[in-house]
Amino acid sequence: MKNETLLSHFGKGLIQNNPVFVQVLGMCPTLAVTTSAVNGLAMGAATTFVLFFSAAIASLVNVIVPSQVRIPVYAVIIATFVTIADLILKAFFPPLSAALGPYVPLIVVNCMILGRIEAFATRNPILPSLADALGMGAGFTGALMVLGAIRELLGAGEIFGAVIFGSAYPPMLIMILPPGAFLVLGILMALFNHLQEKDIPILRKAG
Amino acid sequence: MKKMIIVLTTVAILSGTTLAIAYSAFLPLIQHNQKVALERSLGALFQQGESPEFSEIETDGPTIYQARAEGQVIGYAVRVVTTGYGGEIRLLVGIGPDLERITGMEVVEHVETPGLGGKINESSFQEQFEGLQPQQDISYVKGGDTQAKENSIEAISGATISTDAVVSGINKTLDSALPALTGRAGKGGE
Repeated sequence: MKNETLLSHFGKGLIQNNPVFVQVLGMCPTLAVTTSAVNGLAMGAATTFVLFFSAAIASLVNVIVPSQVRIPVYAVIIATFVTIADLILKAFFPPLSAALGPYVPLIVVNCMILGRIEAFATRNPILPSLADALGMGAGFTGALMVLGAIRELLGAGEIFGAVIFGSAYPPMLIMILPPGAFLVLGILMALFNHLQEKDIPILRKAG
Repeated sequence: MKKMIIVLTTVAILSGTTLAIAYSAFLPLIQHNQKVALERSLGALFQQGESPEFSEIETDGPTIYQARAEGQVIGYAVRVVTTGYGGEIRLLVGIGPDLERITGMEVVEHVETPGLGGKINESSFQEQFEGLQPQQDISYVKGGDTQAKENSIEAISGATISTDAVVSGINKTLDSALPALTGRAGKGGE
């Protein structure tokens, strides 16, 4: 496997095939936890952790897993890593764990993870699978962080807890409430599609 | 058929083992974090210079901690669990040793909407409870004038449900906690 192709497996998740803006996967955490940039970052990192290790194992064991039971097998593998991620958050980052609440266990049903395992990891050797998982994870994390940063800035006047606008700015509460998630996501997706229409090489649609 | 069973069973066993190991590895840290969080909240309830020591009191009702500093009982902390807008709210109420005065309120855990009900976790809201009477019900008023009603706090605007959950939760819990404490408070002077 050439490095070039590994890099392209990694790169496609960032922009061309971004899980949030292009594939529209994992909408539940995307909409629910992006009330602040740090929440988006933490959720993205936890999801990437789960995707990375699940993809690694799925790619290694797919030859011995009978196809009739592959979904339960992968669900168990994913659930294992999700529980570990939850324990790590609780042990080392208690405030983040409290902020993300039930959404960490819900990574189990994040369709991006099962989607990447089914569509990529089980059909490819381990190295490309890991590159794909990291790329998708990074794309997901980036998208959640941008969404969280915009909502936090407009809704609370802060980014990563640092005051940007000061007290003169009346916070637009709606942005950190659920409607804000839909508004910002919709505008970002429109922007993303608009940019992809233009013929900028890095943004060109995959395939 | 046989292969399916073998693979699924193996995967389940491996996963269970991994989780058991991970859980026992992280458990001490997790419990430590919970203890630190609880102690921080407990400590914030009382303003004594010396950091008080807390011991749990056995009651049939709510969990109560007794706070001692330099051998003296300086008050009690009552654990309140109530249901707000987003889910369970866990908080602590500090009461003076004579049971005549609330010394503080601290939210330990909540899932209220940030910016609205989430304000129950702000000190400007929590400080309102200081000095209130634990013996009579606390009430809340909307839109400012807490002088108009005795023993009241100002509701968070836009978050009446969260305010009501906190206030009624405290009232309900104190109703059963105070009788349990009355006997002890009498002995407090020994």
